[in-house]
Amino acid sequence: MKSNHFFKILNIGILSFIFFAFTIFANENIDERVKNLTLELRCMTCQNQSIYDSDAEFSNDIKKIVKQKLQEGESERNIKKFLVERYGEYILFRPLMNYNNIFLWSFPFILLIIGLFFVLIKSKGNKV
Amino acid sequence: MSSLVGFLSLVFAIGINFYLFLSRYIFKFQKQKFNLFIRFSSLLTLLSFFSLMYAYVVSDFSNYNVFQNSHSNKPLIYKISGTWGNHEGSMLLWLSILSIFSFFFSFTKNIDESFQRLTLIIQSLLHILFGLFIVFTSNPFLVNSILINEGLGLNPILQDPGLAVHPPILYGGYVGYSIVFSIAIAGLFQNTDDEWLYVAKKWSLISWTFLTGGIALGSYWAYYELGWGGWWFWDPVENISLMPWIAGLALVHSLMMVRGEQAIKKWIVFLSILCFSLSVFGTFLVRSGILTSVHSFAADASRGIFILLIFFIVTGFGFLVFLLKEPKKSNALNLLFINKVSALVINNILMIIATLTILLGTIYPIIIEVLYNKRISVGGPYFNATVIPIMIPGFLLMSIAPILSWQTNKIQNSKKYVLGFIILSILVLIQSYFLDFNTWGFVGLLLGFWIILASIIAIFSSYKVKFTIKFVKIINPHIAHIGVGIAIIGITCSSVFQNELDFNLSEGDKFIVNGKTVLFEEIETTNQINFQALRGKFLFNIEKNQSKQIEAGKNYYPVSKMITSEAGILHQWNKDIYFILGDQKDNEWFVKVLINPFVSFIWLGVIIMMYSGLIAVSRR
Repeated sequence: MKSNHFFKILNIGILSFIFFAFTIFANENIDERVKNLTLELRCMTCQNQSIYDSDAEFSNDIKKIVKQKLQEGESERNIKKFLVERYGEYILFRPLMNYNNIFLWSFPFILLIIGLFFVLIKSKGNKV
Repeated sequence: MSSLVGFLSLVFAIGINFYLFLSRYIFKFQKQKFNLFIRFSSLLTLLSFFSLMYAYVVSDFSNYNVFQNSHSNKPLIYKISGTWGNHEGSMLLWLSILSIFSFFFSFTKNIDESFQRLTLIIQSLLHILFGLFIVFTSNPFLVNSILINEGLGLNPILQDPGLAVHPPILYGGYVGYSIVFSIAIAGLFQNTDDEWLYVAKKWSLISWTFLTGGIALGSYWAYYELGWGGWWFWDPVENISLMPWIAGLALVHSLMMVRGEQAIKKWIVFLSILCFSLSVFGTFLVRSGILTSVHSFAADASRGIFILLIFFIVTGFGFLVFLLKEPKKSNALNLLFINKVSALVINNILMIIATLTILLGTIYPIIIEVLYNKRISVGGPYFNATVIPIMIPGFLLMSIAPILSWQTNKIQNSKKYVLGFIILSILVLIQSYFLDFNTWGFVGLLLGFWIILASIIAIFSSYKVKFTIKFVKIINPHIAHIGVGIAIIGITCSSVFQNELDFNLSEGDKFIVNGKTVLFEEIETTNQINFQALRGKFLFNIEKNQSKQIEAGKNYYPVSKMITSEAGILHQWNKDIYFILGDQKDNEWFVKVLINPFVSFIWLGVIIMMYSGLIAVSRR
C-alpha cells in the first residue's frame, strides 16, 4: 500500500518539477522565433499548409514581414494582430483564446473534469 | 459491356440483400441456405467491383467514370488503383469490403446460429443503404453517349505506389467496424450470453490493425510526396481517420477488460456503435468536400447530403437500439487506486476525450462558418495544446497497466519500477543538457523510454522467459506498448529535433550537410510515360567511397497540367536526410535539406503495434 502511493507521488513530483524548472531556460534566437510563429500561420494560397512549410510567394512575403517586425522588437501578439487585421482569423492555425472561442478551448478540460469526477464517484466505497 | 455486367451484378446483389432482410419476417429458410445467399451476394458485389477494375485496366472510355479519371498511357498499377482513385469507385470499394467482411463472418464457427444470422442481416441492411447510395448518386457504370478515345487522367498526386494501396487498407479498417457494429446491435437484440463479446474482440482487432496500417501508409505518403518534411499535419482528413482509430483502441482495451469485469459491457456496445459512426462520418466529411485539406480530391458537395443521411440513419438506429435495449447492469466496477480496471477506465476516458476534442477541432471551423459566416482555422497548434497533454497521463498509466492486478491495488516489484524511473529520468536529463534543452523533447523522450523500460522490466520480472508461441502471446500486450514507446521516441525526435539547412546552389557546388560534403552534380530532365521529371542529382559524402546518390525534384504531369514535388530521402537507421529542390533564381537553385532524426522509429513502432494486433486476434 505504502510503496504504491510513494511510487505515484514520486512519479508525478519528478515530472512536474523537471517540466517547470526548465521551461524558464528556453532561449530562442530570431530565426527560431520566426519559425515558431510562422508554423502557426496558414498559407492562404495553399491547401492547409503552414507558412513555414510553404515556399509559395505569399508565404515568403509573410516570412519576411514577420522577421522584420520581430527584429524591430514587436511582440508576437502584435504581429498576429496585424496579420489578422489584414487577412482575417483564417490565417491563424491556433484559434484566438477569446470569448467567441471559449467553448473550443474549454471543451477538453471540461470533459477532463467530468471524467475525473466520474472515476472518483465510481471508486468511492471500493476499499481493499 | 463490362459496365453492364458490373451494374447488373451490383443491383442483383442489393436485391439479394433485400430478400435476406425480408427473410427474417416472411420467407424463413435454413442456416445453410442463408449463408449461401450471403456469400453469393458478396461475390456479386466483388464481380461488380472487378468489372469496373477491368474497364480501368483496358481503358474502356465508353465508361464515363473511366473517361473522367483515367488515361491510356499510364502504368498498369495506376490503372488498377484508378478504380478507387475517385469518388464512385471508392464507394464501390467500400461496399465490396463490406461484402468481404460479411463473407468471412458467415464462416464463423462456434457461434449461436440466430445471433450470426441477425448480425448478417444488419450487414445486409448496411449493404442495401450504401448500395442504393451508389446506384442513385454515385454510379460508376454510367456510359458515355459519344465515342471517346482518350480519358482525362488520374490526379497525379495519386499516382504513387503508397497511395495506390492506401485506400483499400484504410477502408479495411473503416468498414471492418461495420461488422463490429452489427455484432454489437445483434448482441443487444438477443442479449443471451457473452459469447458475442469474444467475437467482437476478434473483428475489432482486425479492423484496428487495418486502420493502423492505412493511417501509417497515408502519413508515410504525406512524408515523401508532399515534400514538406513532416508526416502529420493535423489535417482534417488525417483527424478523421484518427478518431475511429483512438475509439477503436479504447474498444480493444475495453474488450480485454471483459475477462476481469462484466460491468463494462454497456460501454463496449457504445464504443462499437461510435467506431462505425465515426467511420461513416469520416466518409461523409471527406466525400462531401466541405473540408479544405491536402488530401482532398474528387469531392462533390451534393452527394454529401446523402451520406449525411446514411450517417444519421446508422448512428440514430445504433444509439436508439442502445438506449432501448441496453444491457442489464451487472455488478459495479471494482475501481481501486490503482488496479487494472481503474487504469483501463481512466485510459478509456482519456481516449474518448481525445477523440471528442479532435472531433470538435475538426468540425469547429464548419460550425463557425455556418453560424457566423466567418472563416477560421483550427490547426496543429490547437491539437498539440489540447490532445497531447490529455494523452500524457494515459501514456504514463500505460507503462505499468499490464502488470496491475485485477482485484487489489498492489503492484508487484514496485521498487524496481521506481528505481528504473529515477535512473532513466537522470539519464534523459543529462542527455537533454548536451542537446539543446526542449521541454517537449524531454517529456517525449522520457515517456517513450519509460514505456519501453517498464514493459521490459514487466516481461522479465513477471514471467519466465521461454521461447514458445504461448509466451509470445502472453507478453503480447507488453510488446504492443513497447511499439508505442518506440513510436513516441520517433515522433518526438523527428518533430522537436528536426534541423533545417537552406542553400542557394549552382550545378557543381559543394556544401556541407551533417558534417559530410555533398556535391550538387547536375540538373536533369527526362520524359517518363506519364510525366516529365526534373531532378537535381546530389552525391552525399563524396570523400568516402560509399557515397550515396540522392535525387530530388519535381514531376510535371502534362495530362492534368500539375506539378508535384518529389523529395529525395536518404534513409539511415537513426535519421533521414531529406532533400527538397526549390525554384531556380539567377542560375541558382534553392535547396532545402532537412535532417529528421529517428523517423524510422515511427514506422518501426507502428509495425510492432500491427504485429501485436495480429497476434492478439489469435489469442482468446
